[in-house]
Amino acid sequence: MMKMKWLKNMIEVWTYAMKNTLFDEGVVVFFVIVPLLYPLLYAYLYNNESVREVPTVVVDNSHSQLSREFTRRVDATADVQIVSHCQDMEEAKKMIHHRDAYCLIYIPKDFAKDVAEHRQTVVELYSDMSGILYYKAVYSSCTEVSLEMNKEIKAQLIPGATEQQISAFQYPIEYKYVPMFNTQSGFATFLIPAILMMIIQQTMVLGVGMMAGEEREKVRKHIASPYVIGKKPIEMLIGKSTVIFTIYAIISVYLVCIVPYLFDLVHIWHWQTLLAFMVPFITSCVFFSIALSSIAHDRESFIIMFVFISIPLLFASGISWPSSNIPIFWKGFSWLFPSTFGVNGFVRITEMGATLADVQHELNILWIQTIVYFIISYIVYKRTYGKQLWA
Amino acid sequence: MKGLQQIVAIAKREQKRMLQRGIYTFCMVIAPVVAFLFFTTLMGEGLPAELPAGVVDEDNTATTREVIRNLDAFQQTNIIEHYPDVASARKAMQRGKIYSFYYIPKGTTQLAISGKQPTVSFYTAASYLIPGSLEYRDMKMMSEYASGAVGRATLYAKGYTEDQAMAVLQPIKMEMHAVNNPGLNYSIYLCNTILPGILMLLIMQVSIYSIYVELKEETSKEWLAMADNDIVKALLGKLLPQIVTWSLMGLFCLLILYGVWHFPLHSGIWPMILNMFLLINASLALGVFFCGALPSLRWALSLATLWGVLSFPISGFSFPQMSFPAPLRGLSWLFPLRHYFLIYVDQALNGLPLYYSWLNIAIQIAFWALPILVLGRLKKFLLEYHYTH
Repeated sequence: MMKMKWLKNMIEVWTYAMKNTLFDEGVVVFFVIVPLLYPLLYAYLYNNESVREVPTVVVDNSHSQLSREFTRRVDATADVQIVSHCQDMEEAKKMIHHRDAYCLIYIPKDFAKDVAEHRQTVVELYSDMSGILYYKAVYSSCTEVSLEMNKEIKAQLIPGATEQQISAFQYPIEYKYVPMFNTQSGFATFLIPAILMMIIQQTMVLGVGMMAGEEREKVRKHIASPYVIGKKPIEMLIGKSTVIFTIYAIISVYLVCIVPYLFDLVHIWHWQTLLAFMVPFITSCVFFSIALSSIAHDRESFIIMFVFISIPLLFASGISWPSSNIPIFWKGFSWLFPSTFGVNGFVRITEMGATLADVQHELNILWIQTIVYFIISYIVYKRTYGKQLWA
Repeated sequence: MKGLQQIVAIAKREQKRMLQRGIYTFCMVIAPVVAFLFFTTLMGEGLPAELPAGVVDEDNTATTREVIRNLDAFQQTNIIEHYPDVASARKAMQRGKIYSFYYIPKGTTQLAISGKQPTVSFYTAASYLIPGSLEYRDMKMMSEYASGAVGRATLYAKGYTEDQAMAVLQPIKMEMHAVNNPGLNYSIYLCNTILPGILMLLIMQVSIYSIYVELKEETSKEWLAMADNDIVKALLGKLLPQIVTWSLMGLFCLLILYGVWHFPLHSGIWPMILNMFLLINASLALGVFFCGALPSLRWALSLATLWGVLSFPISGFSFPQMSFPAPLRGLSWLFPLRHYFLIYVDQALNGLPLYYSWLNIAIQIAFWALPILVLGRLKKFLLEYHYTH
């Protein structure tokens, strides 16, 4: 009978906490609505994946057939669109200043003459640096076109040569670029997996913090929830943490299985690997949230204290600014958060086909975090519920 | 005069409340300062250098070793390991040890000498967009260079001068100018909008919280009574200490960006001070508007959170707005951070005359009109609502 008591207690806590959670609209916002809607919003935002047809102006001082050919081919690329031919640099700059164009191609007067007389000629490209993707678009498109045209010009230099000979002359060593895993270098594919992990951790932190803040307000006002009475702190902790775990197990299936599928993001995971990774990630998030919630003073303060942190944490994870170049101090800081390891492990599993052995490092730390934050949570619960309520 | 005295009295009351509660100190001073330091020092290098890369050199001749040495000498690439085959290099990538690797198959040197055009290849983990594309750039440049070196050697042997050789090998050459950020400094590109964005998010949330907390502690009637139930005076008094604090934090933000890190400031500091001031006030106005517009202040806080977080992608400083779906492009007009970003680009980055930014400035000012729409509602709410949680 004694053995069954703790189980009965935990089930009681679980049932009450589950009801409490689902009837609290503020918590439901963070536990359910935000995880459901945010990924859709982000996926919609980045649906185009990359920047296409960047408006570009041309200043063609050469007025030659060759320069027109160059311009025409650049215009035909997917990433650049020639929106205007300008008389001079002043006119072109004006268009850029009015945001009618973001890049400028300057073809010098002697462009065709130089080529005809076997001198190297230089085409100048200018990019507005309000976005780095403009720079990439115009640079890669123009380089591709120039390489192609160089090959043809060379063919005229070596009359009678076969295609093969010209190619071997141009490129004694041919090279090939293979982008792996995110083959289109798409922005959604790059950012959304990281955001999904961030959503799991941050919404959990906010929801749990909100509940804990309210609990603390009640304790201050001496209103104890009936289900607390007669329960040991450990029963409370396990009962409550399983509620959060249950909710997030369901939410995570949506986030990591359905969202990537809906938006056609790379998802080459094996379900066993994903499961074995997500369990420690969610568990460490649960105890991290509970441990952190010990500083929640009231219901709302937690929201304004922890929303903004999502943005530094996203950067600290190394998905954008490379983790190899994160200063040691901030690296240490990032190790406190499950998201750092969640993001890295998940991205490699889902996009790069990593196996469990490949993410062993991340797994180990997530388990260590689980243990450490469990202990902290237990101490917190003992302090909160230990004294007055456990008779 | 009486009105002014009332406002000052409310402001003093608010100042006292702010100093009593740790949350204000945390959100208005500690959080922004830590965030400013975090982002600027995180990206202190500007362009990440010495990124880990790998090599699979099956050929292993003096020539290929030379190529690898040269690649390693490039600024962004640091060859940390040689792998016996492509499979193990790929494994290292999956383990997160390297962002890319360069593959030279067996016989490359021999084939190149005999004019049979061998192929080398390079692989990048494009899931990590920034390091992937930086190493791509180095490896592509190295490949062009290696190929060119062989070509040049052949031409020199035939008696060509260097200029002549270049004209044959690369008749048309591209020269790229990254206007006003020639080093492709990521910190300039990101911090200039992220830092003010963090401020904006905190401003909206704190303003809502500061109104909310009056309801919760049942002091809202007392607060309004101090202004003879005039909601305008009550709000002005309440927001005054916040405006002052945020303005100081805004100036601190500008000091870090342009004073400490010397980011491009082609407009001089005054347009950016104006820009910051407009952002702060537009964010406060939005905060008050959300309070009045929504039936529950808890929902106001949730909406401000959504608005604040969404501001970052929608302002278009990382992924350009022209690639967004049209409805979101339209929606972005309603985000103060979007206008801040555009004013920054015109002013600090590109140094254009102020009138280029007139539309964005006008819209930032128009945000101030939003609270007026909901003043009546907000007043009713503050006087009649009973906090029930």
